[in-house]
Amino acid sequence: MYKKRFLLVFLLVSFIFCPMYIFAAKGGSAENNKLCLQCHSDKTLNKKLLNKEILSLYINGNEFAASVHGKISCSGCHIDINMDNHPQSKRIPSRQDYALSVSRNCSICHTEAQLNQRQPIHKALAAKGPCIECHGSHYIRPTAINKAGVQENAYCLTCHRNKISMRMKNGETLSVYVDENAFASSVHAKLLCKDCHSEFSKTQHPVRTFNSRRAYTIETSNLCGKCHKDASKLYETSVHIEQLKGGNEKAPACVDCHGDHSIASTKKDKSIGIVSCNKCHNEMNASYEASMHGKARNKGDEKAPSCASCHNAHNVESAKMTTKIKDGCLKCHKDAAKLHTKWLKNPPVGLSTFSVAHFDAVSCAACHSPNADRGIYLTIYDRKTNKPLSEDEIIKTLGLESDGLMKKFDSNSDGFIEPKEMWNIFAELFKKGQRITFMGNMDVQKATDAHMIGNKSEGVKDCDKCHKPDAELFQNVFVVVKKSDGKPLIIPAKKEVLNSIYTILPMSKFYVLGSSSVKLLDIIFIVALIGGIAVPIGHITFRIITSPIRALRRMGKGGKK
Amino acid sequence: MTKIFLHPLPIRIWHWVNAFAFILLILTGAQIKLGNAIHFFSFHTAVKIHSWLGWILVFNYFIWVVYYFSTGNIKIYIPPLHHPIEFAKKALRQAKFYGWGIMVGDENPHHSTFENKFNPMQQVSYLMIMVALIPLQLITGMLLWDPKLFEPIVNIAGGLQIVDLIHVFLWIFFSAFIIVHFYLATLGHTPMAHITAMFTGYEELHDDHGHGHGHGEHGNKHETEHSGSHEHTEKSSH
Repeated sequence: MYKKRFLLVFLLVSFIFCPMYIFAAKGGSAENNKLCLQCHSDKTLNKKLLNKEILSLYINGNEFAASVHGKISCSGCHIDINMDNHPQSKRIPSRQDYALSVSRNCSICHTEAQLNQRQPIHKALAAKGPCIECHGSHYIRPTAINKAGVQENAYCLTCHRNKISMRMKNGETLSVYVDENAFASSVHAKLLCKDCHSEFSKTQHPVRTFNSRRAYTIETSNLCGKCHKDASKLYETSVHIEQLKGGNEKAPACVDCHGDHSIASTKKDKSIGIVSCNKCHNEMNASYEASMHGKARNKGDEKAPSCASCHNAHNVESAKMTTKIKDGCLKCHKDAAKLHTKWLKNPPVGLSTFSVAHFDAVSCAACHSPNADRGIYLTIYDRKTNKPLSEDEIIKTLGLESDGLMKKFDSNSDGFIEPKEMWNIFAELFKKGQRITFMGNMDVQKATDAHMIGNKSEGVKDCDKCHKPDAELFQNVFVVVKKSDGKPLIIPAKKEVLNSIYTILPMSKFYVLGSSSVKLLDIIFIVALIGGIAVPIGHITFRIITSPIRALRRMGKGGKK
Repeated sequence: MTKIFLHPLPIRIWHWVNAFAFILLILTGAQIKLGNAIHFFSFHTAVKIHSWLGWILVFNYFIWVVYYFSTGNIKIYIPPLHHPIEFAKKALRQAKFYGWGIMVGDENPHHSTFENKFNPMQQVSYLMIMVALIPLQLITGMLLWDPKLFEPIVNIAGGLQIVDLIHVFLWIFFSAFIIVHFYLATLGHTPMAHITAMFTGYEELHDDHGHGHGHGEHGNKHETEHSGSHEHTEKSSH
């Protein structure tokens, strides 16, 4: 008993006078530990925490002895436990809380400076979880042995199964926690962590820094392309990557749609094409749901199109900047061109090319979205490459200031592009060696209307709606320039641009029977007609006036005879 | 009264199909282009008629080509450019006739033969019309008929707007031309002389002058049914 009391006094004195780490490192005492293990070797020994969790207090003495801390006494770490008051009824809220409080004691020996030096990854951690979550508690083994014994993924998960996070340059924190159950049920479950995170392995873990969480997400998405080459190649042509490159960080990268570790197979998860799009394009959902397509899908028709069916999954296109959206429609409506020739034809034969000529310039929605407001969109194309010319390229070619485009285009600042102004754009770019053409197409004005595809019988079939001077559907005209982020810059134009002599050359590739013909030609026609009638009338008049001369000559000839 | 054969059957058929088609194409063309000002047909009907007749005209053009090239008679369209000054003088004389001579009762300076059917002015204008303007009108019409099918040609032309511009300019030209053409057709020795000849093939010669007026596309004292290899004149009872 005396001996025991002496030991306790010695320990107390040691606590006060000796540096603690020296004590923890050297003061291990098997006897001391034996004392603790008298109780703690009982497997049934546990404690009920405030949150009703059960915390096991069992220690396997042998395993502990074999651990890296085997020679350290229990009180070396558990410095707050005093035999005088142990066991005491401590109020511990949860296992997590307990783990945190116990982990604080690790720094008695393992100072932060030392940890950061030995393994700099500690420094990158924003929220450091309890040490014991990654390293374990009583049975900590040397890292080398630990690595050898566990599988690749399990090794990574040693730390990443815990709620750890890393710090970004802008002060944000990013959770680097991996939900192992979600990963195990993902389509990538059989992959190794390093298959994607190729810079990381059991032997290397570089410390990386990122400007922001978003920057991290975007960069990490590049990893997907290692295996998914086709999808990645398609994505490279999408309006999303164009926006990302143009500086719009909100534009989605792979993981924004597909998720990261919990990634599901798109073959099984059919919702991905709608749910992920709605994260940003939620305003489109109501009109889609109200369309023929949405209704069919809601009734359980799995073949009914979702967003990606028309806009593509990876090479996502903006409907305003392309006419290719119709390819999405034609994927299902394969015989659309042929079916249209039943009524959309020029006799004597009905060729599907004639329908296609219409499809090229008229979006499907422009006819099949019954109540939509339509517009004529004249997009500036590079004549040589046959691709839209971007705002940046025009600004650069014309040597304008970055915000000078609208001023240049709408020189009289009335908010509309007029025929003369359209000619000026064309002529000025022409002088600088840039050949452009205004490619026209008809589309719905509001994107939401594009999704309100109605019944077949509601489609526009009346030729007069388009093919007539001043046609009903040709009242709203816009000039479109592709912005550097891939989005369109839409500038209203006067509808006269469709019928002006100024726009013959700028719009040489856009012609609509009846509604885009040049008004001046009508006047020339009438003048020619009047001229044509005037010739006989004038000639007859002169013949009547001169008829006495002829009569006289005839008489003269007759007289001679 | 002397009656001479001028227009072989294939050319008579070709001419009247052309005439009928041209008039209707001009009218339907006007309907398509000026849809809010005139209402001869509905747009749909106008396009239907225009397309049908356009193709009929294409095939009709081949009747002309086959006839004139197979018989070698195409030479009547070729101005004698190896005698340019003489040709120009003749053309001037012909113009003077229409502008003044016809008023004062001069004789038509052009005395047609089968090998020289057209007067110099006709020769130049019909050559232009037959080898340039009508083919151009037919081709631009075909491009407009199905711009997708003929996309490569449309692109070479510079775009559909340009193709249409050519088509419309020619429509304007033919509209004015056909009025003048019809008037000139009445300038035979009787107003119906040339027109009747275009139906029957035969034109009556004005006995006073001994020769037909060389006007219009007619006026010839030779008769050739098909080959033009033999010639004769025929006395008619009327």
